[in-house]
Amino acid sequence: MRRARWHIVHIISAVVIAVLLGIHMVIQHLDDILGFFGVGNGEPTSWLAVMGRSGRGIWVGLYIALLAFALYHALYGLRGIILEVTGSRRAERAINIVFIIAGIIVFIWGSYIPLSLLSG
Amino acid sequence: MTDSESKQVIFKVQRYDPEQRGVPHWQGFMVPSRRGMTVLDGLLYIKENLDSTLAFRTSCRMGVCGSCGMLVNNYPHLACHTQIEEFKSDIITVKPLANLAIIKDLVVDLSPMFARHKSVKPYIIRKDTAEMEKPTAEYYQTSGELDAFEQFSYCVKCGICLAACPTSASDRLFLGPQALAQCYHYNADTRDDGKEERNGVAASEHGVWHCHLAGACSEACPKGVDPALAIQLLKGQMAGQALGLGKKQPAAKVVAPPKEKKPGIPFPEFTGKGNK
Amino acid sequence: MAIREVQHRQNYLGVGGWVWGGNYKLERYLYLLHRITGLGIILFGFFHLIETTFFRMQGQTVWEATMALLEKPWFEAGLYLVAVAFTLHALNGLRLILQEFGLALGRPHRPIYPYGDALRKKRPWTMLLVAVIVVLALLFLFDFMLSGGG
Repeated sequence: MRRARWHIVHIISAVVIAVLLGIHMVIQHLDDILGFFGVGNGEPTSWLAVMGRSGRGIWVGLYIALLAFALYHALYGLRGIILEVTGSRRAERAINIVFIIAGIIVFIWGSYIPLSLLSG
Repeated sequence: MTDSESKQVIFKVQRYDPEQRGVPHWQGFMVPSRRGMTVLDGLLYIKENLDSTLAFRTSCRMGVCGSCGMLVNNYPHLACHTQIEEFKSDIITVKPLANLAIIKDLVVDLSPMFARHKSVKPYIIRKDTAEMEKPTAEYYQTSGELDAFEQFSYCVKCGICLAACPTSASDRLFLGPQALAQCYHYNADTRDDGKEERNGVAASEHGVWHCHLAGACSEACPKGVDPALAIQLLKGQMAGQALGLGKKQPAAKVVAPPKEKKPGIPFPEFTGKGNK
Repeated sequence: MAIREVQHRQNYLGVGGWVWGGNYKLERYLYLLHRITGLGIILFGFFHLIETTFFRMQGQTVWEATMALLEKPWFEAGLYLVAVAFTLHALNGLRLILQEFGLALGRPHRPIYPYGDALRKKRPWTMLLVAVIVVLALLFLFDFMLSGGG
């Protein structure tokens, strides 16, 4: 039943990503509309706005959570596609290990930078 | 086209002779086609009159045996169940089913499909083996319980769903829509008690989780079995089991036949015993 | 007479079979688009992660130079495609979540000719979903054009 659990986490991560990435897309690209509502932060990709968000725990937490769920969802999906093409039972174990290691490395790199900018 | 009129239709058939060690190639045949003629009638005409070396499977010629599955104009059909006139074209291309190895011409090797079907244990499994071996009575099942799986029992194992499935196109180890649908068919049968055994196979890597709901299997199925629905219901069953949701239903109980006979309509005794 | 074993000829459509295996309907192409958009988003995500980590940590000058490059028309157009890809992948994914566990597909029933299948019965909803995706894509295009393509 472990594959059923992996798939269920894939579905849950899809829903979480839809929410978190939706927030991210709205902040990054709908700044005119947000400004109209008085919620905007100026130009969202300007250095000031980026550093402003980097200094606030809620944004850093949001980005790290988004990275975690997105990495799981993306790597599980990509793993499925690769397994459909390789067609070898021995390759499955190797592919699982490669993806887990790659995922951990990317997560550590991707969360280390915002955490270090948060503290300093 | 009226019933008596016939027109010449070109059958472009993919030929392949393994003993020649060539590659599959097209061969065209002129076939006189009448209203009501099926693609199988056309192939039989070719075999009887034009080229007796053309190889294809056929048996019941009425859409119940599943022998004559093939790609007609790039879509999987049962040849006996498909009228030439429905294509509204003067050229009918006929190829063997995709994703299954070609033995010769239009004959494909269905043994991988049968092996996968066998691997999901497509029969009633019960823990009360004594009753299974020496049955004393029937298993109780309501018509509502029958409706939960009856649709999936109409499968004729033609292989058309495998030809349609995009996952089967690339994943050679994929169980396939036919086997997965039959896995659900027996899981959903209240008389069965073998879910754990079957789900071990269906939950393997190239099992149910490689289905991505393209839906082509259900669209192409000639018997309305809707394997895509069965597979999604199987996923739901497995997800429920993984999360520990839902109560475990016990398998159907045995019901002894009624002892009292209903009063019958009085009828004269015609048998020889009564006359003696 | 000795029987000679003859090899059967492999007939798999392969990865090409994902793209086209016959004249199938809407859900088959949504499956293909879901796959393509997923891979496209992964590719974008890879470059986006490099941009927001490696280039961000090098300071204001490097960041602003990177942003100046990314505001060029080709990159903006690429970002538009990523936005459309995300919209399609998310909304189609929502449909898949509902249908994949048999939740929104209805019950089995005895097949009566002419046969219909569960996906065909729900196709009006699927077409509505595709209409929403198309409307959103056009809205994003309008927004992209309004902002001058850059």
